[in-house]
Amino acid sequence: MEALKINRRDLLKSTAATAALAYGMAGASAFAQTPAEVEVGLIVPLSGIYARPGQVMRMGAEMAIEDINAAGGIGSLGGAKLKLVIVDAGDSTEKSKNAAQRMVAEHTNLVAASGAYLSSFTLAVTEVTERAGLPVLTLSYSDLITSRGFKYVFQTSATAASQAEQSLPVVIDLATRATGSKPKSVAIVTDNTAASVASVKPMRERLLKELGIELVVDETFTPPLADATPLVQRIRSARPDLVFFLPTVISDAKLMLEKLNEFGLGQGRIPLISFGIAIAEPDLLKTMNPALVEGVMTCVGNWGFKGHEALIKRIKDKYNEPWMTQNAISTYGDMWIIKEALESAKKADKEAVAQALRTVDMDGGPARYFPGGKLKFDENGRRVGAGLTIVQWRNGIPSTVAPANIAMAEPYWPKK
Amino acid sequence: MALLRSLAPALAFAAVYFAASLAVTNSYYQLMMTLVLVWAVMGLSWNMISGYTGLVSFGHAAFFGLGAYFTVLAHVFFGISPWIAIPLAGVVGAAAGLVVGIPTFRLRGHYFALSMLAYPLALLYVFEWLGFQEVSVPMERTSPVAYMQFQDHRVHTWLALAILVGVIAVTRMVERSRFGMALIAIKQNEAAAEAAGIDTLAWKLRAMMLSAAIAGAIGGFYAVVLLVVTPVAVFGMLASAQALTVAMFGGVGTVWGPVIGALILIPTSETLHAELGARLPGIQGVIYGLAIVAVVLLAPEGVYWKVRDKLRQRRSRGEAVRPADAQAATAAAADAAAPAAVAELPRRRVTHGRTLLDVRNLSKSFGGLKAVQNVSFSVIEGQILGIIGPNGAGKTTLFNLLNGFLKPDAGEVLLDGTDMVGRKPHDLCAAGMGRTFQVMRPFARMTVAENVIVGAYVKAKTEDEARALAAQAIARVGLEAHVDRVAGGLTTKELRLMELARALAGQPRLLLLDETLAGLGRGEVGDVIAVVRRLAAEGTTIVIIEHTMHAMVRLVDSFVVLDHGKVLLDGAPEEVTRDPLVIEAYLGSKWSNAHA
Repeated sequence: MEALKINRRDLLKSTAATAALAYGMAGASAFAQTPAEVEVGLIVPLSGIYARPGQVMRMGAEMAIEDINAAGGIGSLGGAKLKLVIVDAGDSTEKSKNAAQRMVAEHTNLVAASGAYLSSFTLAVTEVTERAGLPVLTLSYSDLITSRGFKYVFQTSATAASQAEQSLPVVIDLATRATGSKPKSVAIVTDNTAASVASVKPMRERLLKELGIELVVDETFTPPLADATPLVQRIRSARPDLVFFLPTVISDAKLMLEKLNEFGLGQGRIPLISFGIAIAEPDLLKTMNPALVEGVMTCVGNWGFKGHEALIKRIKDKYNEPWMTQNAISTYGDMWIIKEALESAKKADKEAVAQALRTVDMDGGPARYFPGGKLKFDENGRRVGAGLTIVQWRNGIPSTVAPANIAMAEPYWPKK
Repeated sequence: MALLRSLAPALAFAAVYFAASLAVTNSYYQLMMTLVLVWAVMGLSWNMISGYTGLVSFGHAAFFGLGAYFTVLAHVFFGISPWIAIPLAGVVGAAAGLVVGIPTFRLRGHYFALSMLAYPLALLYVFEWLGFQEVSVPMERTSPVAYMQFQDHRVHTWLALAILVGVIAVTRMVERSRFGMALIAIKQNEAAAEAAGIDTLAWKLRAMMLSAAIAGAIGGFYAVVLLVVTPVAVFGMLASAQALTVAMFGGVGTVWGPVIGALILIPTSETLHAELGARLPGIQGVIYGLAIVAVVLLAPEGVYWKVRDKLRQRRSRGEAVRPADAQAATAAAADAAAPAAVAELPRRRVTHGRTLLDVRNLSKSFGGLKAVQNVSFSVIEGQILGIIGPNGAGKTTLFNLLNGFLKPDAGEVLLDGTDMVGRKPHDLCAAGMGRTFQVMRPFARMTVAENVIVGAYVKAKTEDEARALAAQAIARVGLEAHVDRVAGGLTTKELRLMELARALAGQPRLLLLDETLAGLGRGEVGDVIAVVRRLAAEGTTIVIIEHTMHAMVRLVDSFVVLDHGKVLLDGAPEEVTRDPLVIEAYLGSKWSNAHA
């Protein structure tokens, strides 16, 4: 309460620049460390248009901290409890970068952090944390994140390029088994955001050719879409066997699905495969009839899958989230990875934690919160063997349907 | 030397800021200190074009972003260090300024502002399409300093401080030269500036290039600080808005405005974000927006001007009595002297001599309205020619045709035998044709001396020469006592005389006066007429438009009477006033009304 009072008073003063700076210098020392606690950071967007996924990540982190502390904290540090430090990454790369600077400057006791949802934010944040030597775990996909030669960034998801590579054969195989013949033609409709572009690139350049599939429609749009009609008309005239659709903004997903339905191509008439989380967000149902998305598939870096049933129930009870998206489960897992690293580092020090993350090599453990592979990072910081999940809308809920060992439902191929 | 003195406050500010930066150890606050300077420089860049010329740019992010991308891409693809790339980014910015300026300066007001908005938005998509959604500055581990990468973030602050001081120096230099005068004149009144011999398009383009160069360079520096460049961060609406906001908030048209704006707004927004962002997401934007709205309502011209005006008021309240008295006394003396001089000068009419201006068959229509039809007349060197006619007779249109504000549909305007049709007003001014306006167009925030000096640049090669010409012109109209007063505070008569002096400062051979006597009291009319006669006696040829007849009879050597766009009659004053056609068709009602 005392600290809050100081904040508020200083806030008024801080309309003058010097006061703001002075506050910073005084303020930094106000965050004194409780010895029995180890600080872990979560830097995610909590304001602006990406606030919603940021909040879900926060839910995942809070649940993990609760569980870790309830299970006795960090054993090798005498049962020290974890403390979550939350920093708002804002809604632009510039804000994320500033927020990261603030995080490393004000919370010098942090041993590791997780963040920052959007790949561009993660890129900006890790530019700062790399220089500060703070290890950061991320669920972002961009290949760029772990191709800069950085030593303090650890990517738990498969990279975008790798996801495209992994998912395409699975999807084609599924279609072949269900329909009895291999798809011959596909359409790609994608927005121009970094992650979508990265996913589509290897498909266009190589993967489709290797599988002997013809690309009959290839459309890129800038979100938000004003009207999906021209896109859908092109699909209707080309009649591909399946459509890859990569939106990032929920409203674009809705617009496209409704328009497909209007043109009589919806509800599986032409199967729709997406990448990323936008098309499986709970928010989609706020404005859409669940029947329209039934059967739609998406390839995501992570999702609540078999073995997470208790967690899925908890997030529903505690936060009223209908299912567990990648944002929740990956962030939950990140905290457990940090816990594991602390256990083997045996001290609350970021350099030691970073070193532990570089050398950790274990099956099971926190790896059970991620699809495929194990808890081991290569020299670039990519998780070795990171797989992905294929999620399908079944009865109004996006459920993991592949890979088979973690599927919660059988995949089905929508038939005409 | 004077420039150095004007930089003293900037250097003092830099010294204080430098000292403050030494004390800051928190790297986040070091970053903030750098960002304040980056946006101050960006505000100054915006101020260079929009503050001084008044053409609001919503698109400065275009130059900023080009500079940022140039710097980061030069590093990524060619390994060029920012030490070299940032100055080059300035060159890139200047080139972009030229490319943007040439088409966009055809537009004015809102249209200019809106079309400027389009450039960064278009570039944003171009860079996304090129696949540069996010480009990070490569981390140089072996020789970081050679790539402007410092372990100690304060070095960035110092570099930004150096850039800021440099930009302030450039701005000061511009302010004090004919460059700045031209820009301020354009802002206050573009038509008057053009008539005073300023090539407004050329100056605006120069200002745009300089402004864009600054934006490009600071954009390049920003890329170094930001580490990750995305189209939205550097071309986005926010980047343009930030430049505009810091300048508008702090004060437009002064070097201190953007500095004050950045010093207050950048830390406020960051602090709000840091303190409230995680607790009440989004509230920082609301508070920030409200603060800006409040300031704009309370101090529409910005914090700097508000404070300065307050201080001036307080100071002048103490000294008000004495100078005002002195001024009034000298003004009264000058007023008393002028009519006496007139009385002593019985004017000999000029009716013969060399033709200076020859107008042949000039016509102009606006749609179906034939404003000027087949007008021909000539003016003899040293003559005072009066053009009269009722309202709507086409007098002002004729004037605008003569000095290039309008292009005639047909006909010729020969000045000394050279056809001037199609030339720009500033060109005509340089050729020796000065003008005043019916609706007065003073540069209200400038002093009398500054107003007049603007008109002198067309003839003067150097600042000193311009000052000398201006002083001479002021003396010729008898305003010596008022040189340091701000034009906004002058009486109508003084404004008329000042406009006259501004036109005279360019040493025209031919002076076009558009209803110079309008709005003056009876005694004042006499004073102004005296001045005009004196000018004619000194050898300036004068063409004057009026619709009040009787003052003109005393003044002119010859009349041209216009009605419905045509010449009704021309000749000596006595002939014209006695001509039954004139009295009946046109003067009749007016004349009798005036004496009713």
